[in-house]
Amino acid sequence: MNAQTHLLSVVLFLPLAGACAALLLRERPGASRAAGMVTAVAELAVTAALPLAAGPGPLRLVEDAAWITRFHARYTLVLDGLSWVLLLMSGLLFLLAVLVSRREAGARPGLFIACLLAIQSSAAGVFLARDLLLFYLFWEVQLIPMFLLIGAFGHEDSRRAAVKFFLFGIAGGLCMLLAVIGLYLLHGQATGAYTLALDGLRGTPVGSGTGLLLFAAFVLAFGVKLPVVPLHTWLPDAHTQAPAAGSLILAGVLLKTGAYGLLRWAVPLFPTAASAAMPVLLALGLAGLFYASCIAFAQTDAKRLVAYSSIGHMGLVVLALAVWNRISLSGAALQMVNHALSTGALFVMLGMLSERAGTREMSRLGGAWKRMPVFSGFFLLFAMASAGLPGLNNFVSELLVVVGAFKAAPWAGGLAFCAMVLTLAYVLRLVRRTLFGQAPPGSGEWADVDAREVLVLVLLAVPVIGLGLFPGPVLDLLRGPVAELAAQGMMP
Amino acid sequence: MTVPGPDLFPFAALAFGALAVFSLGAFLRGLPGWALSLVTLAALAAAAAPLTLPLPWPLLPAQVSGLSLAEGTTRFYMVLICSLTAGAVLFMQPYARDRGFEGDEIYALMLLATLGMLVLVAARDWMYFFLGLEMFSLPLYVLIGSRLDGRSIEAAVKYLIMGAVASSFLLFGIALIYAGSGTTDMVAGLAGAGLRSPVPLGVGLVLAGLGFKASLAPFHLWTPDVYEGAPAPVTAFLSTASKVAAFAALLRIFLLGGEALWPLLEPLVWGLAALTMVAGNLGALTQRSLKRILAFSSVSHMGYLLMALLAVPAVGPGPVLFYSAVYGLMDLGAFGGLALISPARRDLDDMESLDGLGRERPWGAGLLAVGLLALAGMPPTAGFMGKLVLFEAALSAGYVWLAVLGMAMAVLSIYYYLRPLTHLYMRPPAGTRARPSPTLAGAVAVGLVLAGLLAVGVMPGPLLDAARALAVP
Repeated sequence: MNAQTHLLSVVLFLPLAGACAALLLRERPGASRAAGMVTAVAELAVTAALPLAAGPGPLRLVEDAAWITRFHARYTLVLDGLSWVLLLMSGLLFLLAVLVSRREAGARPGLFIACLLAIQSSAAGVFLARDLLLFYLFWEVQLIPMFLLIGAFGHEDSRRAAVKFFLFGIAGGLCMLLAVIGLYLLHGQATGAYTLALDGLRGTPVGSGTGLLLFAAFVLAFGVKLPVVPLHTWLPDAHTQAPAAGSLILAGVLLKTGAYGLLRWAVPLFPTAASAAMPVLLALGLAGLFYASCIAFAQTDAKRLVAYSSIGHMGLVVLALAVWNRISLSGAALQMVNHALSTGALFVMLGMLSERAGTREMSRLGGAWKRMPVFSGFFLLFAMASAGLPGLNNFVSELLVVVGAFKAAPWAGGLAFCAMVLTLAYVLRLVRRTLFGQAPPGSGEWADVDAREVLVLVLLAVPVIGLGLFPGPVLDLLRGPVAELAAQGMMP
Repeated sequence: MTVPGPDLFPFAALAFGALAVFSLGAFLRGLPGWALSLVTLAALAAAAAPLTLPLPWPLLPAQVSGLSLAEGTTRFYMVLICSLTAGAVLFMQPYARDRGFEGDEIYALMLLATLGMLVLVAARDWMYFFLGLEMFSLPLYVLIGSRLDGRSIEAAVKYLIMGAVASSFLLFGIALIYAGSGTTDMVAGLAGAGLRSPVPLGVGLVLAGLGFKASLAPFHLWTPDVYEGAPAPVTAFLSTASKVAAFAALLRIFLLGGEALWPLLEPLVWGLAALTMVAGNLGALTQRSLKRILAFSSVSHMGYLLMALLAVPAVGPGPVLFYSAVYGLMDLGAFGGLALISPARRDLDDMESLDGLGRERPWGAGLLAVGLLALAGMPPTAGFMGKLVLFEAALSAGYVWLAVLGMAMAVLSIYYYLRPLTHLYMRPPAGTRARPSPTLAGAVAVGLVLAGLLAVGVMPGPLLDAARALAVP
C-alpha cells in the first residue's frame, strides 16, 4: 500500500520550525524552552500516530515530489517499519534531551534548543529519505548543529572536541559525496537513465574495482559516524566534552544514522562489493568489540568509559551487518534502538551525577548507593541492561546478533560471545566505582533525583524493560523491511 | 550580413548614474548618504533590467562592433555583476556612514567600476577588453584607499602596483596576439589564428594578466594584503564583482579560442587549477587574521572555478556560471557580515576580536557564519550545491584526480572555516563593545544575502536552469 501523504514532511520539518521559533525567542529563556518542549512532544505524538495514516497492512507511507530536475533528484520520503521504529526512538530521546537540558543550556537556551531540534530534523531526514542526494544533504547537515551543541555548551575542552568531531565527519562525508556523484554518473552512462533514487541506483553495473572504491567511500562516511574502530577517536572526546543532552543525542541518534546508512544504503547499493568486503567488515566489528571493551576497562573517567562501551556495542552492529542475514539484521536494527536507550540513559545519569559531584572521575565518585537510593536503582538497571542481562532490552538484540553470526560464521559468533563477557566486566567496574564503596571524603551531601529527573528515568526505563520482556511487536514491525533488505544485500 | 548592434542601455545607465551621483554630491551638499545609495541602486537596477526582462526592442541600439550582448553567458555575468555590486553598496552604506567617509565619490566610483566590468565582460575587441579592465581597476584603487588611514592607503598602493604589472602583461599579450593575427577583433583573432606564433604566447600573457585580477596562483600573493587593508565592504566588492568579471573574461577567451587553443590551454589550466586550490587552502591554514583567511579562501575558490572551466568542452559553461554566482554570493555574505559586525575604529581582524559576537550581534554574525559554512561547502547553503555542480562537472569531464585533489583540499579547508565559528559562538564576549545602531540598508542586505544563500542551497533549480539555458551559445 503506497499511501501518499504530507505527514512525513510534517515529521521532517516540525522540529526545524520549532528550532526557528526557539531562536527567535532567544531573549526569553522560558519561552524558548517551552517552544522546545511543545515541539518535541508534538513531534513524538505525530510520529506515533503515523501508522494510523498508513491504513492496514505492512506499514508504508510515501511522499514524492520533483526537487532538482537538473540532477534528477527527487524529494522522496518513505516510511517503513524500520524507519518508524528509529523515528519513534529518536522522538523519545529528543524529548528527554529537552527535559534534561535545564541547567546545561546556561544563558543561551534558545540556541541550545534550536541545535537539538535542528539535529532532530536532520536525523528524521536521514531515516526517511530515499533519494541519494536528499539523504546526503540531511546526513551532512547534522554536523553543524551538533558541532555548535558540543562546542558552545560542552565542558572544559569542548571546542577542540567539537572541531575534531566536525573534521572526522566531513572527511568521511566528502569522500562519500565524490562516490555519490560517481555512482550517479556511472549509472547514467551505463543505462542512459540518470537517477538518484535508491531503488533506481541498486544494481548499477559497476566494475568490481570501481564498486569496491565506491563502497569503501560510503563505508568510510558511515564508519566514522558509527564508529568503526580505526575511525573512532573523535567519539570519546566528543562524548566526554558534550553536555549530557548532547551525549544522549550523539549516542542515541547520531551513531544510529551511521548504522542506518550502512544498512539502508551502502550494502544494498553495492551488494557485490559488500560480499567481497565481508571478512574485513567482520574483522572490524570484532576488533571494535574487543578493543573498545579493553580500553573501556582502563578508563578512569566514567563518561569516557560509557563512550567506549558505545563503540563496543556498535561493533556488534557492524558484525551483524557483515554477516547480513535476516536474524542478524533484525538483531542489528533492534540493537540500534536498545543501545540508544540503555547507553543514552547511562549518559543522562552520569550527567546528573557529575552535576552534583562536579567531576566525572570515578575515583572521586562512589558511595551513591546509600546517599541516593532512587538514583542508584535506576543506574543499576541501565548498567545491567547495557551489560546484556536477560530480561532487559540489550539481551534480546545481542542474542539475535550472535545467533545470526553463528549461522554464517560460527567462529565469529563465538568471539562475539566472549566479547560480551568482557562487557560485563567493565560495566560491573563502573557500577562498583560509582554506586558502592566509600564516599570520597569531603564530597558533601548529594541530593537524590528530583521529580523531573525521575520522569526522565522512568521514560527510559519503561522501554528498556518492555523491550526486554516483550520484543515481539517491534520485531514484527521490523520483519518486513529486514526481509527486504536481506534480499537486497545478497549476491545476485 | 548585418549583425544587430548591442543595446547600449546598460552601459549608459551606469555612466549616467555615476554622473548623477557626482552632480548630486556637488550641488546638493546636504543630501544624506542613503539618498545617494538609492540613486546608485536605481542605476544598477536600470542596467540589469533590460538584460533580464525580455524586451522586444533594444532601448539604445547602436552599431558598435567591439561589444556584444548576444551571448547568454555575457548577459548572465552582467546581471550577476550588477547584483553583486548592489549587495556591496548595501553593506557600504552603514559602514561608510559610521566611519565618516560616506560621500558621492564612493558610490559613483562603484558605478564606474561596474561599468568597466560590464565592458570587459561584453568586449569582443581587444581594445574594449583592455579599456574595460582599466576602467574597473582605476576606481578600485581609490575605493581601497577610501578610509584614508595607513592600512587602507598601503593596500591601495599595493593593488596599484600589482594592477600596473597585470596591465602590462595584458597589454603585451594583446600586442602579441595582434602581431600574430593582424586584427584587434577577439573573435577573428582567436578563432582563426589557431597556433600561429606568437598568438599562443600572447594568450598566455593575457591569462597571466587576468590571473592577477582573479588572483589565481601563482599570481595571488597580493590578495591577502589588499583584502586585509581595504575597508570590508570594498573587500566584498573586490572579491566578488571584480573577480567574477575577470573570470568571465577568462571564460570568454576560452569560448572564443575553442578547439584551436584547447590542446594548448588544457594542461595549463589543469596546473593552474591544482596549484590555485593547493596554494589557497594551504595558505589559509596558517593565517591568524580572518580577512587573510577569507582572502586565501577566495583564492582557493578560484581554483575550484578553474576546475569547472576545464569541464567546459565536455559539459558547457553552465557549471562555471552557476559556481560564479554561488561564489559571489558566499563571499558577499562573509565580507558583508564582517563589515556589519566590525567596530568603527578598525575592521575585525584577529580571531580573538570575534569572541562572543554571535550573541551580541546575532544577525551580522549569523550572516558571517552562514557565509563561512557556505564557503566550506556545507548544506543547506548554496556552497554545497556549488560544490555538487562543480564536482559533477569535473567527474563527467573525466578529471578524476583533480576532483579527488579538490575534495582533499575541501576537507582541509574545513579547519580554517571552523575556527572563526568557534570564536563567534563558543567563547564568552571579550568585554563590552559599542553597538552601532541598526540600519535599513544593513538589514536589507543581510536578509537578501541570507535568503539567497539558503534558497540556492535548498532549491537550486531556478538558478541551475538559468545558468544552463544561458550557457547555450
